[in-house]
Amino acid sequence: MDSEIYLDRDTFFHRLDPRTKIIILLVTFVIVLYYQNPLWVLPISALVVLQGILADSLINLRRIRYIMLVLAVSGLILWNLFASGETKLFWIFTVESLAYSLGRVLIMLTLITAGMIFMSTTRNEEFVIGMIRLGLPYRVGFAISTALRLVPTIVSSVFIIAQAQRSRGLDLDSGNILERIKKYLPLLVPVFVSTIRNTNIFGMALEAKGFGAREQRTFYLDIKMQRADYWMLGLMLVMFIITTYLKIRGFGDIPGLIRF
Amino acid sequence: MREVFSMWKNTRMIILTALSAAIYAAVLIPFKGGIPIVPGITEVRPANVFPVIFGLMFGPAGAWGSAIGNTIGDIFGGTLGWGSIFGFFGNFFLGFLPYKMWGALGLVPANDVSQTINSWRKLLAYIIIVIVSAAACAIIIAWYLDLAGLIPFAFLSVVITLNNAIAELVLGPPLLLLLYPRVKQWGLIWTDIMSKEDVSPGFARQLGAILAIVGSLGGLIVGVGISTGLYGQALFQFGSGAKGQVGVWLGVLPFIILIIIGSLMMSGREQFVEETE
Repeated sequence: MDSEIYLDRDTFFHRLDPRTKIIILLVTFVIVLYYQNPLWVLPISALVVLQGILADSLINLRRIRYIMLVLAVSGLILWNLFASGETKLFWIFTVESLAYSLGRVLIMLTLITAGMIFMSTTRNEEFVIGMIRLGLPYRVGFAISTALRLVPTIVSSVFIIAQAQRSRGLDLDSGNILERIKKYLPLLVPVFVSTIRNTNIFGMALEAKGFGAREQRTFYLDIKMQRADYWMLGLMLVMFIITTYLKIRGFGDIPGLIRF
Repeated sequence: MREVFSMWKNTRMIILTALSAAIYAAVLIPFKGGIPIVPGITEVRPANVFPVIFGLMFGPAGAWGSAIGNTIGDIFGGTLGWGSIFGFFGNFFLGFLPYKMWGALGLVPANDVSQTINSWRKLLAYIIIVIVSAAACAIIIAWYLDLAGLIPFAFLSVVITLNNAIAELVLGPPLLLLLYPRVKQWGLIWTDIMSKEDVSPGFARQLGAILAIVGSLGGLIVGVGISTGLYGQALFQFGSGAKGQVGVWLGVLPFIILIIIGSLMMSGREQFVEETE
């Protein structure tokens, strides 16, 4: 696992204020769920992909290609169990349920892609300060930021310890899923212990630098809304209004679909 | 619930929140692409052992850590979506109820409230807490996703409860026995960090614990009952029934409120004991 998802690029989306990027993500999350019909989801998905291309961030999807493949294949089959229709194909599949599954899978992949683009274009610090400026208490923001930073380190530690144990003859690759999980548990314990043990030192270091001394704090990283941010927010507002209007008018459904 | 907010004044509790979140997320992520149960919503999650353990040892920091860790797991695992919102609240209660109920159940002896399993009574308390918190987490998430029309309550609530409880029951006791002495030695048990005054005093604590049990298990049973009986969502089968019906969310809502009321009545102060050297 690489140390961070953020990609250091100089694109339009990278330069946007983190608050704008958070709002883009939230609006995407809302409007993509409006429609059942994959043909109606597709334009939103295309816009998200276009955003990924412009932000030069789609390369990060490689990291989760296996997850996306599993979600897509299993989703295409499983979502058919949630729906039915009039036009039978075979077994549990009908034309309508298949269209529904395609729509659901497309929504899921669009959500994942939008989340990944956000993480690829926004540094942890920017993400957290963006949320703080949107009203999140800075102590909570600090905890989230620290956790985000520590996750790759802890995952890397787990893999290093696992490799060390493998070199001593521990077989981690055989057995069923439960047996494998059991084998990993003794490897995780030293990682947790070493991580938790640093709490006191970490705390002293923070307090020595004045963490929590004042209710209001200043930030080294300063963020400001630029003209481009307002244009993007305006664009998102227009998109939100149009998609909501179309949803209310009943567009985007699958004719003949029976949902359970 | 005073300590849930007052803990943010304490630097060590903030750090423990971050560490709990990071560890939980770090173990969740490798299993994201493993065995999905409902694609993009939930998968086999052995990492679910941690919220209850961190909740018991780190108190409110463990609860916040579980909530934040689950969201980070979704971000890094690529499954950030609508389920993440109520996943946050569900996982919060997965870490929150254990430390609130530990001393309130009346099973843990007053002369040894240490958050480890060194007696049969504590093992029994642990089992009850695991089942209740697993069910509470499940009904919160399933209630919302049923309401949103995404997954039937009957299926998801049972799956999440089992997914949580199995990991916690099988892996929890040995991990707790292994980690507790070390964490205690470093002075990082939440009762060693926070002051008693910062913790909610509660009232009728045992009754609060009972309400939490009734809310969690009652919500699960009644919710599944309504959705399988009244509206026909089959227990482990998607192909019947109706989602997002008024009966399901209106029937389960009072039980979620009951869990919250029970949580307000419980304290955690009983776990503060004077250390004798």
